[in-house]
Amino acid sequence: MSKNAIISKLGVLAQKREYGVLALLVVTFITVGSQNHAFLAMGNLKDMLVACAPVAIIACGMTFVLLLGEIDISVGSMMGLLAAVIGILTSPQHMGLPVGVGICITLLLGTGLGLINGLLVTFGKVPSIIVTLGMLTALRGITELLMAGRWITQLPPGLRVLGVGTILGVPVCIWVAVVVAAASILMARETPLGRRIYAVGSNSKAALVAGLPERRLKIFAFALTGFLTAVATLVSVPLLSVIESGIGNSLEMLVVTCVVVGGTSTNGGRGTIIGSILGVLLLGMVRTDLIFLRLGETSTYWERAIQGAFILVAVLIDHIARRRSNLEVTQ
Amino acid sequence: MSRLKLSTFQYWHEVVLFALLVGLMLTAGYIAPTFTGLPAQSEMSTHVWELALLALPMTFIIITAGIDLSIGSTMALCAVVFGMGFEAGISLWICAGLALLTGTCAGALNGVFVGYLRVHPLIVTLATMAVYRGVAEGVSHARPISGFPDSFAVIGRGTVLGLPIPGLFFIVALVVAIVALSKTPFGRSVYAIGHNENTSRFSGISVDKIKLLLYTLSGTAAAMAAIMFVARRNTAKADIGQGMELDVITAVVLGGTSIYGGKGRIAGTLLGILLIHETREFVSWQWSKDEYNAIVVGVLLIVSVLLNTVLAKRRVGD
Repeated sequence: MSKNAIISKLGVLAQKREYGVLALLVVTFITVGSQNHAFLAMGNLKDMLVACAPVAIIACGMTFVLLLGEIDISVGSMMGLLAAVIGILTSPQHMGLPVGVGICITLLLGTGLGLINGLLVTFGKVPSIIVTLGMLTALRGITELLMAGRWITQLPPGLRVLGVGTILGVPVCIWVAVVVAAASILMARETPLGRRIYAVGSNSKAALVAGLPERRLKIFAFALTGFLTAVATLVSVPLLSVIESGIGNSLEMLVVTCVVVGGTSTNGGRGTIIGSILGVLLLGMVRTDLIFLRLGETSTYWERAIQGAFILVAVLIDHIARRRSNLEVTQ
Repeated sequence: MSRLKLSTFQYWHEVVLFALLVGLMLTAGYIAPTFTGLPAQSEMSTHVWELALLALPMTFIIITAGIDLSIGSTMALCAVVFGMGFEAGISLWICAGLALLTGTCAGALNGVFVGYLRVHPLIVTLATMAVYRGVAEGVSHARPISGFPDSFAVIGRGTVLGLPIPGLFFIVALVVAIVALSKTPFGRSVYAIGHNENTSRFSGISVDKIKLLLYTLSGTAAAMAAIMFVARRNTAKADIGQGMELDVITAVVLGGTSIYGGKGRIAGTLLGILLIHETREFVSWQWSKDEYNAIVVGVLLIVSVLLNTVLAKRRVGD
């Protein structure tokens, strides 16, 4: 069997996963909708999409990181720090800088932190799990130090618009998420950059021989994830009534779950942005389902357990699919 | 390949760590003389036993090029099982047995996924980290359980012949770990798996079984740590052990165990534990702020791995 045929077979498998997630999405949607009609109300669907938007934005960056065979579990703490920074910079209670300046600094800081992750992974040769695990704790510590137990309640109206404003009746954050997703899909599919990321992820030695800049691609993916985390912070934090130091707690878990459930392999090289977006929608729906299925208030305590179980199931499916494809290859 | 030659001195990393520890203690003693005094040190030592106990199986796991991120969550799950058993009026010994069983099963689940299904340990334990913590929150509704009898608090705070009881547990585990890793065929297999898993498989080492055993033991150790923690604090809640995995991994990696597998020693881990423990205690002693601790541990983790790779590169260059 030629290499191209194998790759196309793997592509078919990955696509199958997307269909699976889509089917699950539809089934959940219909089941919960028929149980409780309030679930299908426009207002609720909009709220659900608004809650999904920041996760989807970060998931796009995370997909590229996982495609390269790395992982970034610092995004939750990063969002906490960036939220604190934008709050302190622009709130009239604190520094009261113009909103534009605050946004620029936040975007720069996010990209910079991602860049540090990328540099440590590539030139420092520290495994990405260690780098981002260290960052996860260190950034949370810095955030708590910055906030010192305070709550920031006043945000300038210019910043609030990013969270509560609408364009053509659709909230800004959904627009941003759609633009980011579309750009990521285009980048992954149509640009040399995207193809190189897939090439390095599926076989880094072959990519090295072919002269692909593995290090630069990885630095780019981490910096992009940092940048997108900043974007997600900017469109989600102004929705909240207060900024406190716990924002973004365990968000990294949710993002990684969505991407893995969406079919991206943690070994690199396999997965799509569309799959990740479907994963985000599925997981986002699970969260509201717990409320709408009237399982009682206590059911929300199980949210984390369900998220983790989703990863385990996705990994199991992956294992079975991989074994089947291996069998076909050897035949 | 100079690393494998017996004639060269192998313990440079431990010497460096020891020097760092001495330097830290001298500086700390200069800044805050009471900190290095025996009363303060013995009081603070009660905090270290859970970390120390968990670092032993983690050393084995990291030597096989694996990782276990779920230990903190396993602790929480075991503590909740223990607490709810106590609330239901079951005798404390049986509660402890149930907690140990829970931890062992939790570890075994990780082991099955990593060993037999050959899923990357990072993903498995990242997922079970959420599952175990989520189940702990789910069954306990995140409320604290307290009011354990004083006779139980002895496990966490009591002493035998001047030695703290959790310390005795640790010393027994330490001796077993040292002997198993350096003197038995099992220990050699652990190193072999870390060096080259495929070769080990072809050499007839039962890689899957060894991995299952190691992750299971890690779960059992987490259950023991949970019981010690509950006895010390007299409260069981679903949020205990948060961030514990980070401290443990930092201690092991700081101790010279390579995250890429195949290299590491219990002696190094021991020094890593001491270094982390003293650094943390000194930071909270001096500034009484937990935020600094998070920053220090996070940075320490990254820097220690960075140093390890830089040093390893130089050694290869020699």
